Formats: sequence, structure tokens, C-alpha cells
Amino acid sequence: MDKNNKKTRSIIVVGGGSAGWITAGRIAAKHKSNQASGIQITLIESPEISTIGVGEGTWPTMRNTLKQIGISETDFLRECNATFKQGAKFAKWVTGAENDFYYHPLTLPQGFVHTNLAPYWQSSQTPDQSFSNSVCFQEQLCENGLAPKHITTPEYDSVANYAYHLDANKFSAFLKKHCTEKLGVKYISDDVVSVNVAKNEDIESVVTKLNGTFAADLFVDCTGFSSLLLGKHYQVPFIDKSDVLFIDKALAVQVPYASENTPIASHTLSTGQEAGWIWDIGLTERRGVGYVYSSQHISLDQAEQCLAEYVGPQIVDLNLRSLSIRSGHRAKFWHKNCVAVGLSAGFLEPLEASALMLIELSAEMISEQLPANRQVMDTIAKRFNETFLYRWEKIIEFLKLHYVLSQRTEPFWQDNRNSQSIPDGLQEMLDYWKYHTPADHDFSSNNEVFPAASYQYVLYGMGFKTDTSLFQHLYTDPEKAEHQFTLNQHNIARALKSLPSNRALLDKVNQYGFSAL
Amino acid sequence: MKNLVALDPQVHRDIRINPHTIEAKWAKLNMVPVVLSEFSKLVVQFPIVFSKNIETGQFVCVALTGFEKGQNLFWENGSSTSIYTPLHITHLPFYVGQDEQSNNNSVICIDTQSSALSEQGEALFDVEGNATPYLKSAQSHLQALVEGTPQTETFISLLLKYKLLTQITLDITFGNGTKNTIKGLYSVDEERMEKLSESQIIELQQSGYLQLIHIQLASLGQIYALINKKNKMDLIE
Repeated sequence: MDKNNKKTRSIIVVGGGSAGWITAGRIAAKHKSNQASGIQITLIESPEISTIGVGEGTWPTMRNTLKQIGISETDFLRECNATFKQGAKFAKWVTGAENDFYYHPLTLPQGFVHTNLAPYWQSSQTPDQSFSNSVCFQEQLCENGLAPKHITTPEYDSVANYAYHLDANKFSAFLKKHCTEKLGVKYISDDVVSVNVAKNEDIESVVTKLNGTFAADLFVDCTGFSSLLLGKHYQVPFIDKSDVLFIDKALAVQVPYASENTPIASHTLSTGQEAGWIWDIGLTERRGVGYVYSSQHISLDQAEQCLAEYVGPQIVDLNLRSLSIRSGHRAKFWHKNCVAVGLSAGFLEPLEASALMLIELSAEMISEQLPANRQVMDTIAKRFNETFLYRWEKIIEFLKLHYVLSQRTEPFWQDNRNSQSIPDGLQEMLDYWKYHTPADHDFSSNNEVFPAASYQYVLYGMGFKTDTSLFQHLYTDPEKAEHQFTLNQHNIARALKSLPSNRALLDKVNQYGFSAL
Repeated sequence: MKNLVALDPQVHRDIRINPHTIEAKWAKLNMVPVVLSEFSKLVVQFPIVFSKNIETGQFVCVALTGFEKGQNLFWENGSSTSIYTPLHITHLPFYVGQDEQSNNNSVICIDTQSSALSEQGEALFDVEGNATPYLKSAQSHLQALVEGTPQTETFISLLLKYKLLTQITLDITFGNGTKNTIKGLYSVDEERMEKLSESQIIELQQSGYLQLIHIQLASLGQIYALINKKNKMDLIE
């Protein structure tokens, strides 16, 4: 048989965790793996190697991903201790003062499709009203711990746009159950010990410790940092980005709530620290907290002390996990008949919860554009690599933006503003934004990650000034802008009056669930 | 605040109930929860639809009596004009309670705080301490409601399981030109009914649900009658 026309009939996913199961789930759902005529998917997971178990913030895209996999939102929330996330609050990122914070919410600014409020907000007489609060109602929902919808809202629908916080370990177990019981994914608990290679350098099969050899047409590498197939076997180089994003360590802890009535935060809280920042994510039963920092700037002892100050005296009873992380990504993600998804493809600090989102995008692309045979696989591989190299670059630039705009004076923060550490693309846009507010035409690729609104939230949240005086003739509709600002105030008032608290809604979901309609 | 006390022929020998006060309890309800056993009586005058309980998000079955909050179009000049009054009203002021004294058995209770208790009106017990026809009637309404509530929940669960419910939006223009858009109501989906498999139809037929579904669908025509009623009442005003 002509190897080149070999139909894609079977896929092996090596590795479980969020990457393995989201990928297996998306492909199995679309390609009908529970039918004989569909694509056969086998997931091989090591019983020895545990998952990283920390990734807990998602984007709103996760609602669609779960829906595509055929999962009910009620089941997901109950079994993964998941909560609603409506944005990120960045505290102490600009000056480090106690009251220094800004929001990056998940809802577009009021009237964004027809009106750009940024120049009007900047030139208004009361800039003490923050940008996010002037243009979006979601900040107030978060500040008041409110939920993004009602118990009567159908599953996956929203009143305010939202994403999730979830328990990573429970999420993997939950997806595994759904994939194996409902979607026809076969599961092998074993270690992959070697790889058999075909004449054309494709992976022909993988050899497991106890269960023999498994062949497939496509292999998905979800082996985490070890990148067993793409990195170790194919030696695809890792492009180090630690010269741009300095953080290389994480110190993680799970913090219980004081009582079962403690409010659950509606947002991810990121608090700037001496040499990094602390993440704080609220789940139903506990919080996930961690200090990501640069070991070039502080020691482990200093990091522990900083985390202890943040968490409080109860930290002595809690288990701390120390992780080494390397900012960067592989030079390519799809090589021959092997594609890497998740940590095996790369890693960046979780500043904008991009890791799970990249997994979702990868799984979606593989599923939607699965090559019919080996002959066309190289075309899809090339497109996949271009797409995701662009996306990694854009994410790195967006994360770096948070650092470049800070005014904090500690060495870690000053080093972050060193021009050598700033990607050219970002510097170019910053120079441009000195005279223009971020707009959709700045982000014209099909593969953009963050929309113009996100850049506005971060720039103007952190005090960046755009000089609009050169184009004053463009900003001559203050009444229209004023109308939008007023609408936003109405939206805030209405939302504050009608929406339940985050915890109250989650309790009701536990008891009653969401309806499908 | 309700105060439920186990009904006793001695203790409550002299209690009188004003039936008009009971009836007036639905004067301002624009929708009333109903159970399956009422469907064939309701369809004569009321649209039967489904709505979500605002506290729990769970579906309930309701009879529609008006188009705005507080508006019951079957309440005119201080009395009810409908042929049939739903059990949700006619069981009052009686409830089912647990009797601690007799092994937590269910007993009929009366709400001693009810505004329907009065000096004059219907007696509950005759001179020999036997239940009057009025009490017997109220008791049978209570029983029907107590039996019907879980039956209705099961019916709704099955509709959800077979994805037979769909949201309906009423866009109404009244005779006087005013418009009203009513959301948050649901009905059985006729198109989905046509897509059911043979075995599903047989299941619905044998459980008696098929007939109830057809009654609910037929009752939607009562929406026009309700609009007509509103238009007539507006003219009189």
C-alpha cells in the first residue's frame, strides 16, 4: 500500500491530564469514536507519572469546549469543584500600594462595536473613575462577589460573560470518565518505554512496559514538561523565553476556606510581589494559591516567607509544592505524524490563564482539520505550526505588556523594563499606541489571541497615556460617548440589584442544577 | 406567618371558613401552579404552560390567568368568573403535616393564622363531630394536590429527558394598541413530538402522558381567548 495515502483511522494520545483528555474528547466527539466507522482513539497514561495538577483558570472558550464534548455544565461544576470566573484583578502591579489595582474583565467595553470610549475616558474631567469601571459593568460584579447569571439561566448561557476556575485533578478524572464511558476512547494505563520508527521517520508505534505495542496514524504528545515524543524522540528544540519572562519557579498551596459561608471570589486575583506575583483562585471547597517568582531575584526562603505573609498563619498546616518552570515553547509543534498539546508544547507563567486555552485551541484545530490521509498531513502540520507559533508570540507579548507598564522599583520589576527584554513587536506597538488607542485593525490575523479590548483594559488600567491631541478632530462626539458611560452605570446598578452572590448560585447549582433550556 | 395545627374535631369544632376569602387568594395571580389531574378541567379556559421557579430554576406547570404581574383576568368585580378554580387555591387553608404524636404519619392540618378563618361561614364539623361536606371537599382537593405534585414533577422530568420542552415568546398587540412581550414561558415542542421514535411514543401512550401532552398543546389556543378577554375588559373601562 502506498504509505502516503494511508487513511487516518487511528490516533494515540500519550499522556492524560487536561491536555490528553481535552484533546481525546474533542476528537472523539467530532469523529464519532464510539462508532465502528469513526476514528479510533486510544489514550495511554503512565500510572507512575502524576499530572502537574495546578492549572485552574480558564477562558470563556471552555464553555464551548465542554459543550462540544457533550458535557453538562451542571455535572462539570459539581464534579470539578468549579466556580465562575469573570476576569482578572491585578493588584499591586503598578505602584505596589495597598489600593493599587485594575481589572481585566471578560466583557467588552460598553458599545465597543460602534464607539471607542478610551479617548473620551482619558480626556474626561474625572479620571479617578478607572477605565474598566467606566466602560464595563463587570468590575463591580467582581468587587461584590456576584455571580454571572441566575439559577434560571440555561446551562452555558450568561448574563455577564464568564469562564471557570476548576480543580485540575478532578477535571482530569471527570473528563477521563466521560471520554471512556461515553465517547469510545480506549484507555491504557501503562508507561511508554520506546518508539518504533517507520522508514519516513514517522512514529509507527509506541512500546509500553506491560501491554505491548500500539500503532496509530497520528500521535498526540501530551506528556507534559518531559515532551517524550516531540522533544525527547524528535529532538525538536525548545526556544527559551526566559530573557523576556523571567519567572522560573512556582510555590503552590491549597488554602481551605474559614467556613462554608466564606465568599467565593468571582475573579482570578493576581497580586504583584517583590520578584513575581501570587495567584489566588477560588474553588468551591478551597482556594488555589501560588507564588510564581524569579529565582534570579529572590531565594526559595524569601519566596516561602512572602507566600506565608499572604496566606497567613494557617500556612504551617498546609502542604507547599515547589515547581520549576521554563518559559518558552518548542520551535514547532507538529512534526511528521506527531503533534504536541499542552506543557509538551511549551509553558508560560499563568498570568492570563493561557495554558488551558491553548490546549483547547490545539484540540479544536486537530479535530476540525484532521488530515484525511498521510499525504495531506504535512500541509496541516505546517499550518498548525504557523498558527501556534503566532499565538505563542502574541501571548508572550501580551504578558510582557503587564510588566513593561509597571512602575514598581524592585530589581525584578526594573529588569523587566530593560529594553533588551522587550520583544520588538511589543515595543513597536507601544510606540504606536502613544498616539492611537488599541483598535481591532491592530489585530488583523485570523489567529489573534487577545482582542483589542483586552489591550485597552491593561494599558489604561495601568495608567498608560495615549496622546490623542494630534487627532482631536476625530473625537467630537462626546454626547454619544456620554450616553455609553451612562448606559454602563445603568448596567452596573441593574446587575448589582438582580444577580445572586457567587457562592449562593453555586450552592443552588449543587442542589438543583442548571436546565438545558 | 402560617401556623399549622393538626385538624381536630373538638379543638376546631367552632371554626368557620369564609369561602370567598379563599377564592380571593388568586385575585392577583397571573399564573397558578397546577397538577396533571387538573389538565382536562383547565383546558376549557386556561392556557397550560411551563415556567421556571425563580428560586430553584426547576420547571413547574402553570395555568396562565393574565399577562402582567398581579393581573388575573378571571377576577372581575370582586369575584371569580372562571368555571374551574385550581387546587392551588381550593385546598386552602388546609395543608399536610407530620403528626409527632402518631408516629410521624401524615395528617391534615389547618393554618390557624389564615385570613379565611372568620366568625361566619362554612363549618368544618357537624354537631356530632363529623366532617361537613365543605371540609370533605377541601380535603379531597388537598389530597389531589399532594398526589399530583410529584406526578407532575415526574411528567416534567420525562419531557426534559426527551427534549420535548421549548421556550415560547408571546408577542401580543392588544385591541387598544398596547404591546406586550412575554418571555420565560415554555410549552411542549410539536416539532420534536414528530421526531419521537415509535418506542418513545408507545411509552408516552402507556403512561398516559401522550394525552396530557395533547391537552397542553390544545390549551395554547386559550391564549387567544385570554387576549380577547383583556380586550373586552379594556373596552368596558
